[in-house]
Amino acid sequence: MQSLSATSAAGVLLDLSGVVILLLAFACLASKLFNRYVVYYGAQSVVLSFAAGTAAVAFHSAELWILAALTLAVKGIAIPVAARRLLVTRLALKRDAAMSTGLSTSLIAGGALTAFAYLVSRPALLPHGTVASAVVPLSTAVILLGSLSMVVRRHTVAQLIGWLIVENGVFLGAITLVATFPFIVEAGIFLDIVAGVLIMVVFVSGLTRQLAEASAAELRELRG
Amino acid sequence: MTALAILVALSPLTGSAAALAGARARLAGVAQAVGAAISLGCSLALLVTLDGHAPLAGWDGFLYVDSLGGFFAMTVAGVTLLAALGSIGYVSAQEDGGELSGFQVRLYFTFFGLFASLMLAALETGNLGLLFVLVEASTLASAALVGIEGRSRSLEAAWKYIIISSLGVTIALAGTLFLFYSASALHLGSNLGLTWPYLLAHAQALAPQSLRLAFLLAVVGYGTKVGLAPMHTWLPDAHAEAPSPASAMLSAALLNVGMYAIIRFLAIAQARLGGTYPRAVLLSFGFASIVVGALFMVRRGNFKRLFAYSSVEHMGIIAVALGFGGVLGLYGALLQTLNHALAKAVLFLSSGDVALRYRTREAGQVSGLLAAVPVTGGALLLASFAVLGSPPFGLFLSELTIVRAGFAHGSPVFPLLLLALLGLAFVAFARTTAGMATGEPPQLASPYRGRAEVAVTAAPLILGLAVLLVLGLWIPAGLDAVLRHSIRVIG
Repeated sequence: MQSLSATSAAGVLLDLSGVVILLLAFACLASKLFNRYVVYYGAQSVVLSFAAGTAAVAFHSAELWILAALTLAVKGIAIPVAARRLLVTRLALKRDAAMSTGLSTSLIAGGALTAFAYLVSRPALLPHGTVASAVVPLSTAVILLGSLSMVVRRHTVAQLIGWLIVENGVFLGAITLVATFPFIVEAGIFLDIVAGVLIMVVFVSGLTRQLAEASAAELRELRG
Repeated sequence: MTALAILVALSPLTGSAAALAGARARLAGVAQAVGAAISLGCSLALLVTLDGHAPLAGWDGFLYVDSLGGFFAMTVAGVTLLAALGSIGYVSAQEDGGELSGFQVRLYFTFFGLFASLMLAALETGNLGLLFVLVEASTLASAALVGIEGRSRSLEAAWKYIIISSLGVTIALAGTLFLFYSASALHLGSNLGLTWPYLLAHAQALAPQSLRLAFLLAVVGYGTKVGLAPMHTWLPDAHAEAPSPASAMLSAALLNVGMYAIIRFLAIAQARLGGTYPRAVLLSFGFASIVVGALFMVRRGNFKRLFAYSSVEHMGIIAVALGFGGVLGLYGALLQTLNHALAKAVLFLSSGDVALRYRTREAGQVSGLLAAVPVTGGALLLASFAVLGSPPFGLFLSELTIVRAGFAHGSPVFPLLLLALLGLAFVAFARTTAGMATGEPPQLASPYRGRAEVAVTAAPLILGLAVLLVLGLWIPAGLDAVLRHSIRVIG
């Protein structure tokens, strides 16, 4: 496995991007306004594409350049713009603070999950001195925070974006291991995400036609 | 041989092609059944050619078929054939009845073919990253099938299914990442290094701590697709709301593909960590699933939900069998996979016929099935007894093997607990289905247009039951050899 050392320029940049991505995941968790929630997700994807670009330079990988460009175009721009349009114009939702827990509770839980991520993935698990040992705990924390947003957010679109945050976390972990993941797999993962978002948006539109606001809280017909 | 493997995965796309070309339900259904039959034939031919020889490998390990993958491919292709035959009558009746528009019918067959094809492809790759990609893609294709009717209930089920399964499979991807991290010492550089056979052969070089985490994440992640408790919550909703042939595909094919992925991780984990830890993980999730499945079966209500909880229970039994381990446990697990797939396909297909005729999915509103629709009623009743493990059907044999494996495993507590839970499941399940089969039959109008459709609806039921009966009385030498080769693959 090729791996960068943590002290090289690219390693420091990747580490830094990882930290910013984690902070943006926290911002998503804490934002009360739906607009901002989407914007934070977009910003997170832009930083992720920057990290992919850094890895592309460091590994001299043309394939990673393609992935960085795709990440920027699809996750950084297309999905946030489309989500905003869907939410604001179609569903007329400007403020949605709908969370099933209080803000402070979910932030404390987020902090605990981050600590947990470091606890599980830090010790003796990864080779020391490589950038992976710095970034993998960060990406694990982003995965957990994304799952937490899926749990505490009530709206279906918010759950969708929570899943995308989880995917960002996995992608962050994957780019530090560039030699390991073949391009066809990375591209396949990307395609899955795009197809997944499309199908989910169709479901959300269908649910909107039949329910008042397509909030997961209304999905309670099926039980037991 | 490569051509055979490609045909296995691609031929179910005939249904999609017919639907995209604008065929109506009957024609698209027939095309789908022909494609599935070709796929089944090719998978059988592939198994015969493999017959314990070196596995088929190519394209840097992206293509990799051994006896284990071939066995699962045969199961999935067989279920696809049964479900495609069932689709002809079911979807035609819904199209004629105006419940599905022409567009929805084309959508149904497009995604049906895609779903089958993606699952079969997932069983034929050695690259663990590509395995994730294909499993996630099959989730998306099947979610479209679950939501196809477009009512609020089916959309709710589809939403639950897609969001829970996607998250689950993403967790499995994180598990795959940790597996690759654990292989740091191997300096994986080429695509070949990411394949399952390479990692298994070099298992001793894997770092044990991250491998533990990787295995747990993979069981939780792919276990979400399998429907292991407590990740099973999407399963009853999706199975109940999907069109019945699609429910058959979910229960009898998709769950097995998830279990296949877990088996691949299990083999690597056992090779490095020894048996204790992986077995403990599988036994815990397995018993949790059996308990949840059996308890929820006690409630009488929607009969498709009942069958779905029985799937949770059976996946739990297979996980427990893998947890018992040894030749007996693995043999029982694989045999149970095949038998359960057949029995559950017959159950869901006959439930489709019942739902069409009685216009309800509530067990309480169905009575006199045996008198009103003898073939479907008989198939439903026989398949119920088969799925509950009564002789002379195949599941009796496989469950007996699993219980024996449990006694060989050590503590008699586990197999005794398994037997008690099986008893509970028997009473809960049979109470409902026996009530449906007996009693006064109401006046029913046939939902089908002609005798041909009635016959084609009955065909998969009789075919499935016949194979199930044969497997209960006699395991063909060829199947026995395939199972033994597969066990050697797992180690």
